[in-house]
Amino acid sequence: MKVTDLFKEGKFVVSAEVGPPKGIHIEEMIESAKKYLTKIDAINVTDNQSSVMRLGSLAVCKALKDEGFNPIFQMTCRDRNRIALESDLLSAAMFGIDNVLALTGDYTKLGDHPGAKPVFDLDSVSLLYTMGQLEKGIDLGGQELEGEAPTFAKGAVVSPCSDSLDAQLVKMERKIKAGAQFFQTQAVFDSERYIKFAEIAKKEFDVPIQLGIIIPKNAGMCNFMNNNVAGISIPASIIDELKADKERTKAGITGTEIAARIIRECKDYCQGAHIMTLGWEDKIPSLMEQAGL
Amino acid sequence: MERRKQVDYTKYVLKDNEELTALLEGKDNIFVIACNKCFKEFESVNETDGEDFVKFAEEQGKKVTGLKKVDFLCNQILTAKKLEGIVPEGTDYIAVVSCGLGIQIIAEMEDLPVIAASNSLNYIGHHGMALTQKTCGACGESYLNMTGGICPVVDGSKGLMNGQRGGARNGECDVDPKKDCAWEKIYQRLEKQGRQCDFINQDVQLRDYSKTNFKVVHDYVTAIRDSRLTGYNGGIHPSENKELAEDIPLKPFPAPETVVIPVSMHAGAPAKPVVQVGDTVKKGQLIAEASAFISANVHSSVSGTVIAIEPRPHSKGVDVEAIVIKNDGLDTLADSVKPAKPLEELTPEEIVAIVKDAGITGMGGAGFPTSVKLTPGKPIDAVLLNGCECEPYLTADHRVLLEYADDVIFGLKAVMKAVAAPKGIIVIEDNKPDAIELMEAKVADDETLEVATVRTKYPQGAEKMLIKNVMKRMVPSGGLPADVGAVVANVSTAVAISDAIQKGMPLVERAVSVTGDFMKEPANFMVKIGTNVQDIIDYCGGITREDATIKMGGMMMGAVLENTNVPIIKGSNGIIAVNTDYTEANECIKCGRCMDVCPMELAPLNFYKFGKENDPKALLANNIRDCFECGCCQYICSSKIPLVKWIKSGKQAIMEVK
Amino acid sequence: MLITQLKAKETIDALVVGKAFILNCFGCKEVYFPEKCATELQKELSDAGKVTGILTMDYICNPENLKLHLEARKDEIAAADVVLVFSCGVGVQTVAGLLEDKKVVAACDTLRLPGFQGVTPQEFDCDQCGMCFLNGTGGICPITACSKSLVNGQCGGAKNGMCEVDPNMECGWERIQKRLTKLGRIDILKNAPVQIRDYSTDDATKECKQSE
Repeated sequence: MKVTDLFKEGKFVVSAEVGPPKGIHIEEMIESAKKYLTKIDAINVTDNQSSVMRLGSLAVCKALKDEGFNPIFQMTCRDRNRIALESDLLSAAMFGIDNVLALTGDYTKLGDHPGAKPVFDLDSVSLLYTMGQLEKGIDLGGQELEGEAPTFAKGAVVSPCSDSLDAQLVKMERKIKAGAQFFQTQAVFDSERYIKFAEIAKKEFDVPIQLGIIIPKNAGMCNFMNNNVAGISIPASIIDELKADKERTKAGITGTEIAARIIRECKDYCQGAHIMTLGWEDKIPSLMEQAGL
Repeated sequence: MERRKQVDYTKYVLKDNEELTALLEGKDNIFVIACNKCFKEFESVNETDGEDFVKFAEEQGKKVTGLKKVDFLCNQILTAKKLEGIVPEGTDYIAVVSCGLGIQIIAEMEDLPVIAASNSLNYIGHHGMALTQKTCGACGESYLNMTGGICPVVDGSKGLMNGQRGGARNGECDVDPKKDCAWEKIYQRLEKQGRQCDFINQDVQLRDYSKTNFKVVHDYVTAIRDSRLTGYNGGIHPSENKELAEDIPLKPFPAPETVVIPVSMHAGAPAKPVVQVGDTVKKGQLIAEASAFISANVHSSVSGTVIAIEPRPHSKGVDVEAIVIKNDGLDTLADSVKPAKPLEELTPEEIVAIVKDAGITGMGGAGFPTSVKLTPGKPIDAVLLNGCECEPYLTADHRVLLEYADDVIFGLKAVMKAVAAPKGIIVIEDNKPDAIELMEAKVADDETLEVATVRTKYPQGAEKMLIKNVMKRMVPSGGLPADVGAVVANVSTAVAISDAIQKGMPLVERAVSVTGDFMKEPANFMVKIGTNVQDIIDYCGGITREDATIKMGGMMMGAVLENTNVPIIKGSNGIIAVNTDYTEANECIKCGRCMDVCPMELAPLNFYKFGKENDPKALLANNIRDCFECGCCQYICSSKIPLVKWIKSGKQAIMEVK
Repeated sequence: MLITQLKAKETIDALVVGKAFILNCFGCKEVYFPEKCATELQKELSDAGKVTGILTMDYICNPENLKLHLEARKDEIAAADVVLVFSCGVGVQTVAGLLEDKKVVAACDTLRLPGFQGVTPQEFDCDQCGMCFLNGTGGICPITACSKSLVNGQCGGAKNGMCEVDPNMECGWERIQKRLTKLGRIDILKNAPVQIRDYSTDDATKECKQSE
């Protein structure tokens, strides 16, 4: 089911993210999804996230779909050239996986195979364009596809709290021109900054945006993300909140409250939320309840 | 041997008309900058892409506000100078016809929007020389050890590391049938060397793509730019090889049985002999006198009998009139050898007269009469005492600084007094920390003296470089150091001046480094003028390679001695035995390295080009006369063109036209 | 234009089985050659009696001149089991091509250096992609200034303007963004068509190879 159809219905689309394991056993992951993600509209499956080799995104998407979930196939341009990317897009479409999130991908050096060849034959913009071409029944080599062309809900990402917001907006515009139909954002911790971004984005583009959410686990994690993760900026007040009662924080109560609050504050400025659980899938039901979803 | 044919090559082409049309849409008032080298055909001088673009733009109804063609646009520093203030008012865009480097340089330099009018192309080889089929993908690993020296990364179309993929037909690559399959070639070569086993048994190769690190490369670039561009443009860093002799103290070289003293050991007119065959002469006695304003007296370095006055071989390569003296071994001093008044009592004129009488000439090699230098006729702000010794191998000046420090300072003060300079600066390269330390201690109590430490870089010791580096002044084209208030003298010259004043001893001996990779026992000597070079080499145990090249002077500017039976003269700072260069010149490939290293910011490749075309006007227009023949261009030349020879003959050609 | 780095000492030791003839290339030394380390290492080998001769010249990538030099040293080369070459990959291949019967090994790894041959190394580089993108980028090359060589804009991985791959390097696309903003030309980026790189632009190389 295309998430774009959900947006059209005016639904507040909530998605969560799962990372495939480094191995071939996904039973635990499926169990967890069945337990905690049943009220979720779609599940993103990461593609060798952070350049760490794992089970393939497409395979896990297929497994989730078979279990009745609605997967969003994340695709990075790091590991495949245009031939492989197009081919995998066709494979996805054949399985009925029709939500694709186009990403450029982290650099190879940052992961667990630093010596690997970084491909980047295409990038997020040209990958979106490629999907558009395939939908027209033409591949990048200019050849026609046989039979009915595939269709996709074409997603992309944006960092609303990036230190270079202007560049992000330019890139967002390029992605839209290349065919992006919905956006998921990098995790937002600063509602004010997000709202500022969302107002500009609404005025300029008017595409559905899912607010990116991470449930903060503790102050150390926040400091680490502040220092190391692009596009993330966590206000000191949140870090102080997490420091206040260590027991509540450890149990995830404080983090869930913070995340729910951010969703509530931004709800009028987004068309959905995308929750990056980082292992805390079990907090999702509570989060959704507190956020009023 | 038949030389490989050089293939014309190009690094960029104009974008096609369709793309250019689209590019120029809505743009007007365009200034065009085109790179005029490195490029294309070997024979052409001027590239026409710039004009082609101008024509195209005008056909599109655009106003072109000007066209400037620049040799090696990518040479950021020289390009900046050439483009200063050149873009006229009313220009809205700058179009650049160049490879991507040139375009980026201009884009960074100018505030106006830049239009890239050309595409850069892949081309063969990454080096000046390597316009060959062999290239290097700079993978950071070098797989050549496994593969018999054939590169699988670039020779193989797929960059495979573990052997051929099976696509080759009849030994040709399946990607490009014109290409031999690299792996096929690798197998053949390894088989020939009986090394297939090595190959078969090696570990599986995984290419490591994480090797190239921005910081590593960035740091290299920064360091190189820093070392290359501080003080003055370019320069080079030949292997110093000073360790061969720098710690060996100066020893007096044993007095020879005969000395052969040429009447021409200096720039200018030969001296006129004032003794005759059969005369008895004493050490320090005048034997030939200066014959013109630019000339120098000559004195006997031994006591004994004049046995011949006749042309004898000279390091210049031709026979030169020389006074041959049989040494009686007594070292009887001439009557004239007696100390002058204390320096405080001498007038500038008296100092100049002593220097003139003592036959002192520049001892750094050029041999210009020092007395002429000491009468600059202009106000002098500082005397620079050149202790750089930037020539590789040579250590004579270094030893003089260490062992004759007081004489050096005395000589410097005498020069300062002669030219009424308020300041004396001893300039030493940073590869001689012991000399710097000693001299700094010596001048610590004297406010008029200082020691300047400069970076080790050739030709740091050249007059104009020294002045630019230390005083931040540019000697104008065709000018002399005095024009910018400077006098430059060599440290050995200072010692000679000190000897002349303090002892009354004229210039009859000097410090000589006898060194080189193939000198058996390197040494530093105080050698009497007129001593035979071969005797010195023999004394040092001879040379260790028969085919070694012997040079008088330094590696860079020294003269190759075909005949070693020549005398040590006033300017002989070294005898070196070094590797013979068997290379032969190729055609100029316009790589631009010569321009990059030229300390005078000239374009030496043009001296070759116009020299070959016998075009003195063009040589003159390219400022050939500013060249002081340091040889950096020849050293760096990727085609091994003897550029100094071309420059010398070019200067000669200009003289003849005049 | 290239820079060379010495291979690890153990690697070089392992390469020298028996006696070695050593060849140094100083041709691009004004660019970079690990002279000091190389000299030390060669002295060690020499002291261990593993060296039949050392030849230092420049531009060993010039086959004719290399041939003349090798001829003058042929006895020392014949006495060696391996020829150990300290140069970039082009040099090693040239030596190997001339000494086909000899085991020729490389003692250095070669890295690419920004800037073309002939000039002082630059902060800039041109990768000769054959489809100059500089018009859309304010004159900053996205192929070489971006770690991922992206041609449609930043990847979003930059932190405080620095590249995610190498925090010592400024994000190329942020530089482009700033330059275009300064020039008042940010529209050309917004309105640029989707760029897809053409990797089949090495025709000039092919042509050149054929004509040789």
